[in-house]
Amino acid sequence: MDHLQQLRATIHQYLFGLLALENLSSVAIGWTLATYTHLDPLLVGLISLTSSLAFSLVIVIIMTRLVVQPIRALWQTILHFSPIDQGVAAPQFDGLRVGRELVESLSTQVFQLANVAEHANEESQRQNSNLANNFIAQNLPLPLFVLDSSETIKFANVAAAKYIGIAAADLIGKNIYMVLDMSFPSEDTFDTWLKSVKEKSATATGSWERVRLNVRDNHPTLMFDLAAYYNRANSEHDETMLALFDHTKQYSQDDQAVSFIALSVHELRTPLTLLRGYIEVFEEELGGKVDAELQDFMFKMKAQAEQLMAFVNNILNVARVDDDQLELRLQEEQWPSVLKSAIEALSLRAKVRGMRIECTMAGNLPSVGVDRLSIYEVVNNLVDNAIKYSGTSKVIKIDTHLTQGGLIETTVQDFGLGISGNIMPNLFTKFYRDHRNRAQIGGTGLGLYLSKAIVSAHGGQLWVRSKEGEGSTFGFTIKPYAQLTEEMKKTGDTDLVRGAHGWIKNHSLYRR
Amino acid sequence: MTDQPAPAVQSRTVLCIEDEHFISELYTRALTKGGYHVTVEGDGEKALAEAQTDKYDIILLDLMLPNLTGIEILRTLRDTARVPPLRAKIIITTNLEQREDVRADIESHADGYLVKAEMTPHELVNFLDTVK
Repeated sequence: MDHLQQLRATIHQYLFGLLALENLSSVAIGWTLATYTHLDPLLVGLISLTSSLAFSLVIVIIMTRLVVQPIRALWQTILHFSPIDQGVAAPQFDGLRVGRELVESLSTQVFQLANVAEHANEESQRQNSNLANNFIAQNLPLPLFVLDSSETIKFANVAAAKYIGIAAADLIGKNIYMVLDMSFPSEDTFDTWLKSVKEKSATATGSWERVRLNVRDNHPTLMFDLAAYYNRANSEHDETMLALFDHTKQYSQDDQAVSFIALSVHELRTPLTLLRGYIEVFEEELGGKVDAELQDFMFKMKAQAEQLMAFVNNILNVARVDDDQLELRLQEEQWPSVLKSAIEALSLRAKVRGMRIECTMAGNLPSVGVDRLSIYEVVNNLVDNAIKYSGTSKVIKIDTHLTQGGLIETTVQDFGLGISGNIMPNLFTKFYRDHRNRAQIGGTGLGLYLSKAIVSAHGGQLWVRSKEGEGSTFGFTIKPYAQLTEEMKKTGDTDLVRGAHGWIKNHSLYRR
Repeated sequence: MTDQPAPAVQSRTVLCIEDEHFISELYTRALTKGGYHVTVEGDGEKALAEAQTDKYDIILLDLMLPNLTGIEILRTLRDTARVPPLRAKIIITTNLEQREDVRADIESHADGYLVKAEMTPHELVNFLDTVK
C-alpha cells in the first residue's frame, strides 16, 4: 500500500507542479503581451488562452506516458514469467520515473508466484513419471501394469511380478503382449479394445472376465478378470493402465463342474459313436441278407442308439440352460420340411414298438424362425414321451396348423395313459416324474423342462391338455419369421440369437 | 491297379488323427470305400509332425490325444509364423463338449467342426465330399 500511496503522491506532485507552471506561464504571457505590446486586450486574452491550451495538451501527453509506464512494466513482467513463452523480455526498471518501487515490489511477487507454480508442476511430473517410487502403487496387492503409447511396460508393481512369476526388472521395457499371453472368452479382447480406443477415444475404460493367461513351462494356469484404463492426455509414458483380479481358484472350480458333465458326455459319446458305426456297417453288409427277426433286432438296436443320442443331448442342453449357455440362432425355415425330417428320424423308434405316427399339416403355413437342431429336440422329446406313455395304443397323431393369432401351432397327441390333474402343475419342473408309473416307464424328467426352455427361447408357448385314461396332447407355438423380423426392428437387434432366458444381443453364431 | 481304369481325379488323402483305435478303424473303412486314401495317427506329437509334411488334402483332428492335444496341434498348424501354411482342410472331429465360446474359438481356426457321436462314418464321408 505504501508504494501505491507513494505513486499517488508522485503523480499528485507532478500534476500540481505542471498545472501551476501552466497557469503561471499563461498569466506571464498575458502580462508580457499587455505590458510590452499594444495589442487589443481581447487578442491578448485569446493568445494566452491558446498557449495555455497548447501547454495543457503537452502536459496531458507527458503525463499519460508517465502514468502508463509502471503498468507497461508490470504487464511485461507478468508476460515474461508466464509459463507459456511469449518472447517478452524482462522489463527495465531504471527508466521508470513514477511508481518504480511499486513495480519492483509487484514484480518480485509475480516472480515468486511463477516460481512456486513451476516447482509444483515439476514435482507432480516427477511423481507421475516415477511410479516405481510410489509406495501405494508398488505395494498394492493387485497386479498393476502401466504401458506407454507403444504398449511397452513402463511400470509393473511387486504384485504383478509375483503373479506372473517374472522379476519386475525383467518386465520393464518389454512389450505387454510378450509378457501377458492372454486368451479371452470372446472376440472382445484387450488388444482389439486398445486399438479401437486409441483411434476413437481420449479416455476409456474396459473390463473383461475369465481371461486366461497362457503360461509357459510348468507354471500353473492363471485366470483373472482384467480392467484397463486408457487416457491419451496422460504423458506418453503412462497412457494405459492394467489391473488384474485373480480368480484362478473360483474359475477353475466352475470349469471343473462344467468339465464333469463334459467328461461324462465324452465317455457316453465314444461308445455311442462306435455303436452307430458298427450298426451302419451291419446294415450295409447284411441288409437284405438276414432273416426278418434279425433285421428287426437291427432296427431296434439302431433305434436304441438314437434314443441314447437324444438322451445325451438332453443332458447337455439342460446343463446349458442351467448355466445360461444355451444359445439359439433363429433362421427362416419352412416348417413342414423341418417337422417332416424330425418325424422321419423318430419313426424308426415308433416302428420298432409297433406304433405309427400320423401327421397332418395345414397348407399355407408361413415360414418360421427356428433353430433347427433345438426345435428337433422339442419334437423329439414330445414324441418320445408320447411313445413311452401310449400304453397299448398304437397311434400318435401330429398336427400342425395356423392359430387365430397367426402363430404356427404343432400338437403331439397320444391315446395312452393320460396325466392326472394334480400332477399337471409340476409337469415342466426339472427331474419331475409321475410317481405312479415312475417304476414302469423310464426317463429322467428333463425332456419337458428342456422343451419348455427351448420353446420359450423361440418366443412360443408349450402347453398340455390331458385326461386320465384317454391320453394327452402336448402343443407348442412358434412365430412366423416375418413377425420375428418385425420385433427385431423394434428392439434394434441385428441377429436373431436368443438364450433360454431371453434375447442375447448381437452375438455371433455358435450353433450350426 | 493296372487293369482298372485310372480314376478321373486322384483320390484325396486324409490324415485321421484319432487315438481311439475302434473309431479310426471304422473311419478308415468308410473313407477307403468312399475313395479316400487314409493315414491314421493316434499320437499327438507324431500327428503334428505328419501333418506338417503337407501331404494331405484333409486332416481329421480329434481333440483329446496323448502327448499333444488337438487344440495345441491346431494352434501350431495355424501359426504361420512358426510353420508354413498347409493346403489341407482341418476338420475337428471330437466327442468332447466345449463351452460355446471355446468351441467358437476352435471353429474359427478350423475348416469344420463335427461331433463324432452325431454322425455315422458314412455321413462323415458325405460331409468330406462337400469339403473342397
